[in-house]
Amino acid sequence: MTTVLVVGVFGLVAIGLYGLLIVRNLIKIVIALQLLTKAAALAMVVAGQVSGQVNLGQSLALTVIVADTIVAVVGLALAVQVRRRFGTLDVRQLSTQKR
Amino acid sequence: MDTSLPLWLIGIPLAASPVVYLTGRLLLARPVICRWLTLAGLAAAWIVFAQVASSFSVEGDAERLIGMVALRVDGLSLLLAGVALTLGTLVTLYSYHYMAGETGEEKYYALLITLIGTMIGLGCAADIFNLWVWFEAMTISTYLLVAFYRQQPASLEAGVKYLVQSATGSVFVLLAIALVLAQTGTLDLDAIRAASPSLPLLAAGALFVIGFGVKIALVPLHTWLPDAHGQAPSGISAMLSGVVIEAGLVALLRALGALAGVTLSWGWLLIGFGLVNMLVGNLLALRQQQVKRLLAFSSLSHVGYMLLGLGIAVYSGQPDGAQGGFFHLLNHGLMKGLAFLAAGALLYALHSDHAPLYLADLSGAARRYPLVALAFSAALLGLGGLPPLAGFMSKWQIFVAGVDTQDVAITLAVAFAALNSVLSLAYYVPLVNALYRQKTSAPVERGRAIPVTMKLPLVLLMIAMVVLGLLPTLVNWLTEPAAAAMIRLFGGV
Amino acid sequence: MAGALSLLVILFPWTGAVIVALAARRNPRWLHLLAAVFAAAAAAAGLGLLFYTGDAPAVTLSLGGAFGDFTLVPDGLGAFLAAVAVVIGSLAVIFSADYMRGEAQLGRYYFLVLLFIGSMCGLVLSGSLLLMFIFWEMTALCSYALISFYNDDPKAVAGGIKALVITQFGGVGLMIGVLVTRAALGSDSVSALLNGADSLPPELLSLIAFGFLIAAAAKSAQVPFHTWLPGAMEAPTPVSALIHAATMVNAGVYLLARFYPAFAGVPGWTTAVVAVGMLTALMGALMALTSDDLKRVLAYSTISQLGYMFYAIGVGAVFASQFHLLSHAVFKALLFLGAGAVIHAVGTRDMRQMGGLGSQMPFVRGVFIIGVWALVGLPFANGFWSKELILEAGLADGPAWAYIVMLAVAGLTALYSFRMVWMVFFGKAWTGRRLHDAPAAMRGSLGLLAVGTLTIWLLAEPFKNLLASSLLRHIGEAEGSVLLAVLTNPATLLALGVIAAGLAAWWWRESLTGVANRLRFIAQAAQADFGFEWLNRQVVIVTHRTAMTLRTTQTGQLNWNAVGIVGGLVIVLLVLIVGG
Repeated sequence: MTTVLVVGVFGLVAIGLYGLLIVRNLIKIVIALQLLTKAAALAMVVAGQVSGQVNLGQSLALTVIVADTIVAVVGLALAVQVRRRFGTLDVRQLSTQKR
Repeated sequence: MDTSLPLWLIGIPLAASPVVYLTGRLLLARPVICRWLTLAGLAAAWIVFAQVASSFSVEGDAERLIGMVALRVDGLSLLLAGVALTLGTLVTLYSYHYMAGETGEEKYYALLITLIGTMIGLGCAADIFNLWVWFEAMTISTYLLVAFYRQQPASLEAGVKYLVQSATGSVFVLLAIALVLAQTGTLDLDAIRAASPSLPLLAAGALFVIGFGVKIALVPLHTWLPDAHGQAPSGISAMLSGVVIEAGLVALLRALGALAGVTLSWGWLLIGFGLVNMLVGNLLALRQQQVKRLLAFSSLSHVGYMLLGLGIAVYSGQPDGAQGGFFHLLNHGLMKGLAFLAAGALLYALHSDHAPLYLADLSGAARRYPLVALAFSAALLGLGGLPPLAGFMSKWQIFVAGVDTQDVAITLAVAFAALNSVLSLAYYVPLVNALYRQKTSAPVERGRAIPVTMKLPLVLLMIAMVVLGLLPTLVNWLTEPAAAAMIRLFGGV
Repeated sequence: MAGALSLLVILFPWTGAVIVALAARRNPRWLHLLAAVFAAAAAAAGLGLLFYTGDAPAVTLSLGGAFGDFTLVPDGLGAFLAAVAVVIGSLAVIFSADYMRGEAQLGRYYFLVLLFIGSMCGLVLSGSLLLMFIFWEMTALCSYALISFYNDDPKAVAGGIKALVITQFGGVGLMIGVLVTRAALGSDSVSALLNGADSLPPELLSLIAFGFLIAAAAKSAQVPFHTWLPGAMEAPTPVSALIHAATMVNAGVYLLARFYPAFAGVPGWTTAVVAVGMLTALMGALMALTSDDLKRVLAYSTISQLGYMFYAIGVGAVFASQFHLLSHAVFKALLFLGAGAVIHAVGTRDMRQMGGLGSQMPFVRGVFIIGVWALVGLPFANGFWSKELILEAGLADGPAWAYIVMLAVAGLTALYSFRMVWMVFFGKAWTGRRLHDAPAAMRGSLGLLAVGTLTIWLLAEPFKNLLASSLLRHIGEAEGSVLLAVLTNPATLLALGVIAAGLAAWWWRESLTGVANRLRFIAQAAQADFGFEWLNRQVVIVTHRTAMTLRTTQTGQLNWNAVGIVGGLVIVLLVLIVGG
């Protein structure tokens, strides 16, 4: 069981990082961030289980979910504004600030 | 110490935040109320801080449990709280006119005072998950501040990059916490230290370095910083550069301290990042024409000096390097805060449309704004490490600690750091030259007057910089306990 | 008394600086007056200090920890140099009343000049190496700010930044030396290094000695760091006289003289000092000979004369180096201020556009010739005694190759000096304009310096006694009368012969055209600054190019930023696993 969960954590991290590195759509990038934080929440649960403190692990995971929801909300709000001001969600267009 | 004091210290700013926001929403026509409420909240926090500081000097560390969450006041917490409150108060004062008339002023002040409260909380966190919660709260409150001018595409862009990169870092921290929990079964910072070294803990350390490193702007994780610091309202740039980076550093130290026994490399890792940061920061700033971006890049190199001092302390187990590093942290808060506020004052006077401030715009500014120009020059020369300003003294303290280790490699690192200071002069002083030209630039010609609420913080910071340069030992009461606390964090005595 | 005076000599100028800065918007007449009053007060304190010298710390401020004890020690050497700084400083300030009349930003000008005078006194009076370093950097800061005083002129800005960066680069050597001293001896006081040098491990002592040498060479514009001094000539001329001729550039010579007893035994150190001094003296003289800019000729000549002082220290003639420092400070300040009067009247620094000014400016011509008389080393101006003393010490104790070169440089000095005087004051008049001779405040400063140039050598014996306790106790230099030693030494005649040859070469320059043409390649090399300017530029270009390349990594692309984060993680993991 634990092994499956650990594999799940690694899988989610891998997908999330792939998204950050490759994907260009800002909404998708926020989703990739969500996958990463979900991986972290899952990791908390696994860690709680491994160390024999299941309650602790679950409460940490809940806290993580609360925090990352706020981040997602702010991120999506920014995405809305970006769409409005830039007319696109392509993050390649968001590179006026460089050098 | 009355153990409820730390609670008040954190609670007052956090409680003031919704009050400021709601009053602001209810009395939209009278935004001036928010400004005064914020100042009142900070004044109350100052009173508590004075009590905490005075009882700390007698009794030392204090701890308070609220449910399962432990708050511990040690030298490090005190230092961070002091810097955050100092800069926060001055920035609030400065924003009185700077932010006047912006839409969402009430949000600005509510978020600003939240930011201050969360940073104080971060300094007091005693378990590693709690540390992350404060860290995340601090980060979230800055997201909206960075992208505060949301009509400006550039600030949106900066906000997006800041958010995505910070959130990624935050995930790394969480993964590290999970590893630590799985390996040691505890979250308490002191208890973790007892664990025996293992590969997962080493990986956790690396994740902490990278996770917190995004906020500290370690090279190559620094790429968000020039955008965010360049585009945020100037008061927020001062906070970000002067305290938020440093709060990340404190968080990293606490986390790494818990893993002190895992490897002997932490000191070298910090020194290595420090040297890279100095060089890259200086080179990136060298050809920069945009004043706030230039200051942002220079923050990279100053973080490098702090890391050098702290790394020396971790490596040698002696508090001297840490004291120098923390003194530099404090000085950097003052100097970079002053530099951003002065640049912001000129931005306020010269551009009313949030357009970036270019080097060429500064030309002849001293003729119309002699005080601001003087303060800006003092900040720049102090950042460049010229005596008798404060920046030199803290660098000196770091260098002394380095050479005192009698280690050849560290002595070479010190020489490298000193040469970097020389290099940094090559981009600081042209700004000073531009300020004192006879020929005024077009924006200066038609610039508006700078109100006294913006000048007062500049004068106070400038005086602090000069006084600390002449009498560097005046802040020993803050830096010495902080250094001692840090040595304890890393398992020394 | 000594404590109060050594504080006053710093605090008078600094208080004046602050007051002048605060009064910057008032009537300029007040600024001139205020600055002159505070500078004169400092001069009085500095001269008074000469009578209260002592080797014990007169003022102590204990900071503890990394900062140690800040002390002021008004010993003979320090008090002498402080006196030079305040006296020449106040003359330069008085001169400025005429020279800077009508200029904008006078408040900033006087603030920096007075700040400099105080810092220079602090530098030479410091008994703690950290405090010395702090003042060392402060003089560099003032020097930079005054060189680029005319900020609108890109050449002035570039010159200021160049001076700052080069002297700071050298300052790193001093700083490392101080840090190592602290770490090894547990104290950073000057006396601790002097007394404890023998107990230091040899490799550490060499590190300190050569670190200090680098700092001294950068500060005193010695090869290969000399390139900043010609660029510094963009400063207002009284500043050039004060900072870049009479005081700050001597700080390097002071540093080496102060620590000569500690470093003399380091293998290769004295030879290095002799070589640096000799090369600098030679190159400086050649560059002075081929330059057409009046102030640059004087700058190169300063470089060359500082080379003499380095050479003197290298051969162990520490007293001679300080004696020449005194002579040079007086006559070079005179020459610079004289040049300032000329430039002020003519409005250009190009000597090819001067010529025949003597008849219109007889006073300036008179004092300028007195200055040149001393620079060349003709009897019996002050430069004669000190230069002969150096050459004789070089003949007795130094390597023969260096002595021969230094002797030849004396001839070159005569050659370029006469060329300069001729181009400025004699020959065909270039401008038809009616020129005014120097006004009153200028005349006052020039006159006093001219009198000093002719008479200061009379004080050679008291001067030697003054330095005896601080400088000579370690080395026990020549007993007996200094002046008599010069007069009775046959080498004096030899040197005078070479100088005469230099003079003759200028006189019969028409018939020497053939020789001159054959030596053209040297002249071309000298005009190109022997390639050091090119080297400077290359360093700057390479740095900027690296910076430009590195800036492309700041792509602004979110995906690339994420690559940075992931890449950072991989690197840290690898480092920890491999290194941990």
